[in-house]
Amino acid sequence: MTMRKIYIASLTFVLLTVLSCKDSFLDVPVQGGVTIDSDPNLAQSLVGGVYAGLLQGDSWGDGDVHGFAFISVTSIMSDDADKGSTASDQLNPVGDLDDFNHTSTNKFAETLWSGHYNSIGAANQALKALSNSTVLTDAVKNQYVAEVRFLRGYLYFNLVRMYGKVPLVLNVAKDAEDAATNPVFATRASVADVYTAIIADLQFAAENLDVALLAPHGHANKGTAQSMLAKVYMYQQNWQQVFDLTNEVITSNQYSLIADYASLWRQSEDFSPESIFEIGTGKFNNANLKIDNYTVSQGPRTGGSGGWDDLGWGFNDPTVNLVNAYEPGDLRKNATIIFINNSGDHKGTPLWDGFRVPSSDSVQNLRYNYKAYTSKLKETFANAADKDRPKNVRIMRYAEVLLMNAEAAVHLGQGDPDGKINLLRDRADLTPKSGVTIDDIWQERRVELAMEHDRFWDLVRQGRAAEVMQASGKHFQQGKHELLPVPNSEIQLSGGLLDQNPGY
Amino acid sequence: MRFRMRKLLLINLLGLIGVLWSATAFAQVRTVEGSVVDATDKTALPGVNVVISGTNKGTATDGDGKFRIELQPNENSLAFSFIGYQTQTVDVTNAQTVIYVDLAPDTQQLQEVIVVGYGEQKKSDITGATANIKGEELARQPVLTATQAMQGKVAGVQIISSGQPGSSPQIRIRGVSTALSGTTALYVVDGVLTDDITNINTADIVDMNILKDASAAAIYGSRGANGVVIITTKKGQAGGIKVSYNNNIGFRQAANMVKMANAREYSNYIQAATGAAPAQTPYDTDWYGTITRPGFAQQHNLSISGGTEKATHLLNIGYLNEKGILKNNSFRRLTLRLNEEYKLTSWLKVGLLSSYGNSDNQNGFGNVDVDPNGAIGGAYNDAYRAAPTVANYVDGRYGNTSGYQNVGNPLLDLMDNDIRVNENRLQGSTYIEVKPVSWITLRSSIGGDFRNSLNRGYFYQFNADQNTFLISGGNQYSNVSNLTVKSIQSFRWVWDNTVTLNKKFGLHEFTLLAGTTAEQYHYQALTGSRNGVGPDPNLWYLTTGNANSSQNDGTGDKWARNSYLTRLNYNYDGRYLLTATLRRDGSSRLPGANRWQIYPSVGVGWMLTREGFMQNQNIFDMLKIRGSYGKVGNDQIPTDAYTSKVDLNHGYGFNGSGNTADGFGQIRQVIDPSITWETTVEYDGAVEFGLLQNRLTGEVNFYDKRVNNALIDINSRRTAGDFDHSIFRNVMEIQNRGLEILLTWKGKAGNEFSYTISGNATFNQNKVLALNGGQAILGGSIGASQNFTTLSDNGQPVGSFYVLKTIGVFNTGADVANYVGKEGPIQPTAHAGDFKYQDTNGDGHIDDNDRVFAGSYQPKVYMGLNFSANYKAFDFALAIYGNLGNQVYNGKRAVRINGLDNVEKSVVYDRWTSQNQNQKNPGANTGNQLASDYYVSSGSFARINNITVGYTFPDSFLNRTRLTSFRVFATSQNTFTLKKYSGFTAELPGSPTNSGIELSTYPTTRTIAVGVNVGF
Repeated sequence: MTMRKIYIASLTFVLLTVLSCKDSFLDVPVQGGVTIDSDPNLAQSLVGGVYAGLLQGDSWGDGDVHGFAFISVTSIMSDDADKGSTASDQLNPVGDLDDFNHTSTNKFAETLWSGHYNSIGAANQALKALSNSTVLTDAVKNQYVAEVRFLRGYLYFNLVRMYGKVPLVLNVAKDAEDAATNPVFATRASVADVYTAIIADLQFAAENLDVALLAPHGHANKGTAQSMLAKVYMYQQNWQQVFDLTNEVITSNQYSLIADYASLWRQSEDFSPESIFEIGTGKFNNANLKIDNYTVSQGPRTGGSGGWDDLGWGFNDPTVNLVNAYEPGDLRKNATIIFINNSGDHKGTPLWDGFRVPSSDSVQNLRYNYKAYTSKLKETFANAADKDRPKNVRIMRYAEVLLMNAEAAVHLGQGDPDGKINLLRDRADLTPKSGVTIDDIWQERRVELAMEHDRFWDLVRQGRAAEVMQASGKHFQQGKHELLPVPNSEIQLSGGLLDQNPGY
Repeated sequence: MRFRMRKLLLINLLGLIGVLWSATAFAQVRTVEGSVVDATDKTALPGVNVVISGTNKGTATDGDGKFRIELQPNENSLAFSFIGYQTQTVDVTNAQTVIYVDLAPDTQQLQEVIVVGYGEQKKSDITGATANIKGEELARQPVLTATQAMQGKVAGVQIISSGQPGSSPQIRIRGVSTALSGTTALYVVDGVLTDDITNINTADIVDMNILKDASAAAIYGSRGANGVVIITTKKGQAGGIKVSYNNNIGFRQAANMVKMANAREYSNYIQAATGAAPAQTPYDTDWYGTITRPGFAQQHNLSISGGTEKATHLLNIGYLNEKGILKNNSFRRLTLRLNEEYKLTSWLKVGLLSSYGNSDNQNGFGNVDVDPNGAIGGAYNDAYRAAPTVANYVDGRYGNTSGYQNVGNPLLDLMDNDIRVNENRLQGSTYIEVKPVSWITLRSSIGGDFRNSLNRGYFYQFNADQNTFLISGGNQYSNVSNLTVKSIQSFRWVWDNTVTLNKKFGLHEFTLLAGTTAEQYHYQALTGSRNGVGPDPNLWYLTTGNANSSQNDGTGDKWARNSYLTRLNYNYDGRYLLTATLRRDGSSRLPGANRWQIYPSVGVGWMLTREGFMQNQNIFDMLKIRGSYGKVGNDQIPTDAYTSKVDLNHGYGFNGSGNTADGFGQIRQVIDPSITWETTVEYDGAVEFGLLQNRLTGEVNFYDKRVNNALIDINSRRTAGDFDHSIFRNVMEIQNRGLEILLTWKGKAGNEFSYTISGNATFNQNKVLALNGGQAILGGSIGASQNFTTLSDNGQPVGSFYVLKTIGVFNTGADVANYVGKEGPIQPTAHAGDFKYQDTNGDGHIDDNDRVFAGSYQPKVYMGLNFSANYKAFDFALAIYGNLGNQVYNGKRAVRINGLDNVEKSVVYDRWTSQNQNQKNPGANTGNQLASDYYVSSGSFARINNITVGYTFPDSFLNRTRLTSFRVFATSQNTFTLKKYSGFTAELPGSPTNSGIELSTYPTTRTIAVGVNVGF
């Protein structure tokens, strides 16, 4: 009896034991996570993902490409705009940048670095997936590779303008070990090497992208790559290349100036015939898809006695210096700057869509960036109630191609610089100029592209950043402030391999 | 003498005859009462089972060891049984009405039995470091979880809690032994493995056993690295039905408040800092006063239990309600427990241990993605910063702090949302136990833990206009209302099968355990959100929102574990003890090559007092030395840590800003494909002793444990393309070395006064031994200009504060100019009244490279002192807890990012001025200061955790009622704290690299409560 009990019980036990130990029991795939191995079509999706990386605007966090940090270093730092908002708001990091008091721990200098390398990482991942893809035809693959390389070239162009020497990362980190130890990630390549890589990427893009747009809008095409390449050559003062490339873009007849300068930055002109390269926003998942804080940071802010539901935080305010840069009658002035009514008649400032910004007694600052304005009344958004609305940021317009062409033409003594400049002056309702000089072109660049994230880098390119900035009363030190500091935290992570820019 | 005895006997005999006679004469229901005492020391024994032999009827002795029972005429004998004592049957045919029973201790059972995981062991035979706390000691305190109640009771176990209702305290056993993986101890509730016991009613707990060292925890293998807490819940006892009701009802308040500057002080300070006085207003707002209120807490427990020799039952119903000290914040919990056991035959036993919990957390979180650390602190932080010159709430409108200084109105922070987390949790196990022969036990147990929670967040619509605010403007607004709902379901099952062989061969006793376990976990979450839902709570369903604003998302997780375990216990005559365990663990969370790992342990013990040569000494009643080695692991890592995934749904608008965009993928993580478990190896040695008839008992324990491959998020070079710049890797080595001392004195004065004093202290030294090529971890970001405040580096404790060193305050501009390094003035932009920082690296600049270590949040010593006493019908208990040698970072003070933010009263008065040129505190400033030792202060504190006074009503009173016991008590939790730190609390939970920072902490609360314990 007892023996039988033992027998039965033991048998049951053994059975239970065996049942609970199947080999496959521990092979549990990740739930809800796709990998390149599980879906080969994802290579294509990764290309779009590189574009999506351009929307990074986590300026106080993981990375910024075109957000508030980008606004700060391209516009607020320049003589075109002041920090704005209230005096005490965001003194660090924005006020420091505006006044050139920033140090190597400046958060925005750090997040711009991270944001760009995040995007470059996404681009390298896409390139790797594309080269391994077995489902795409070579032609399609080439098209995608060219788009990604265009974006990577553009990102490095921003990096080299911000930091000078930077690590040149053209492959993905294989794994954690590689990321931590491979000197590629912690060694700054020379500025010349970075430019060589940028030119290689953009050249490849220019050669492999179609003239005609592959997708309806927004994707990089041949003209985008050629125009960006021309700008890169302009920074290298390779005027012949600038001249030839811009001529190709002009004669491709793919682009034209739109008639109304004031409407350039409105939703109706997203991906207009004038748009060469533009950051695409929209509606996604029933929410605003945007560069975080791009519009809300620049929206007119309540102040004084208040009394209205304002549009934003009031940063990036056009300076008097910029206002004075316009010739009398220049239509572009009132298209670029929202002037707050300070006359005492309390009539406020009506905007193009009928919205009236109150007068100066209820508004924090006297001038705001009109190009960052979004209309709740006349434009459509997934969530118009949100003050932070989508805005396609125009990175390069056909007008700039004309300006580059003109500048190269003057340097080379060929072409028709007057004609190019006068196309823009005519649109701005100004009288034509003849015999334009480099200074004329620089002036024209300033007002044509005002508040479009070009001014600071352009001054550095022109070699007169110190002169102009100091004249506008900023604590700009020549030989230091042309570049941002390499983020201190990144230097610490490099184990001493990364060096700092001069003066920081 | 002989004569007297005989005379006594004779009288008794006569009395007996008389009683017999009367019994015969009145053969009817009769009552027997009496008391039960310990045969050796004659102390009363409460809780002894008194069962009428041959029936299921019975009772138990009360707190004084007394009982009363009614007998039918044919019922002639009572059985008295109690754990640790020999069962005694007393013949009551003689119709005694009063009997006194002396229960003799069972020498076999005398020793406490400790649940050690997949089995039990006599405490005297244990060779690892364990501790045991009785449920009644835990239940005495008016707190939510048993973990909290354990604070200060056990050497080597540090409990860190916040005052937030419904929050689960942190538990650190023998120091911080991981940096980024799970830090929670493993809880085993009736065999079910979990990491959260907020669903367990403390009143349901019989005892808690804590497996502290690796040799004790090794039976849990890869789950044991953070220690194991085994919870055993109550079961019914054979005997009559027992009903008891306990409650406590009390008030709460913040144990300590920070005094902020009032309007006048604030205005003076701002004037001094900015040169301009802030706008004068008629307001003088106390923001902390505005957002807090007196809290209220109540707890009720009803227990019904009973059973027969064949079946026992227990039903416990518990209700807890905590109204937090923060407005709008509350927590409610209902628990039901049903524990059943059936002895079907002499060799077969089945049982069910089950609990249902329903909890409702109101505004304990900032959003529906429940963060265990809570996130309502935004209001606390805003209350610290908001200017007192702004109104809080006047005539239905809020003061506009954000328009004034870009800080949310703290009251509106609390009122502009409604976040409710309602959880149902069904947890339990069912088992079958077969004993085919006396020395073999086969047991199979299936446990389950089903959790289902519905998290609802409603965010009100309001504009920065004059409908909401007294003055319009600012950034605190919500243009559209939003309802977000998240539904979470998880299910975990664990199936244990064990066989235990126990056999004695002469003086050799062997216990061999072998078994397997399998465990699986599945989690699913679904989120939905819509805008434009109306403010009436009856409308808070997604369908009432704007369909064009719909958003939804869902995630899942699934993993499995499989293990084989075995343990051998051997003892020779209770003198020489050996425990050896081996567990082989497999986890689906790890890549194939690293999937299986073996965790061995061995422990030996020597009970000296059982040796012949110790029999002639009378110093030690008990003396034991033991030592052990063990290896355990920590596999609390994300399931997908080693898989490179494509992150989907990153949108980009190729169609214009007014049109619908497309979603794309990004590979955002660089991964380490060779991730493996964290492995902890620990050596432990101890002496246990009992002196003076065991009145003084104690234990001294040394330990040295090392984690060889702690998984940490390595800050990745941003250039490597990892979007959050951190990669999970096994690179860090951490050591915890320490000493634990436990002493208990049980004393008596006369027959009516008895007391126990128990003290424990733990000295722990934590150190990062190696980073192995990894980067030291920067942590403790509090934003603004203080990106990080801690560094976990070689030779330092994990999460050490790493800040600039202040070396005084500049008194004049000349001082600034005179503070020069190799490149001229070191702080050229400083002014009089600014801090002078040490240029540690001597490069002539002040930057992050000048930071120095400034201590750690980890205490060097933590200790508890517990005192309890009984005098006549009164009982008294006092519990004190404290720690020494830890530092805290005053993050709320450091995060002053707007020049118009308020400051503490003490900052106003103690500040540097040209008249008061102290060198400790800076002059009036506009914030945005650098991370420095100014914000680091001692976190040492001592606190009276609990004082309880009770009174048990005597039988003379009970006899007139239907009650069997009745006690009333008053208790106070967190009565008084002695601390150096000026903030709310020095007790600041957080992750290993991000702890001890007071930024938006829910302060610890003080509770004063009264209650009753009633038995029917």
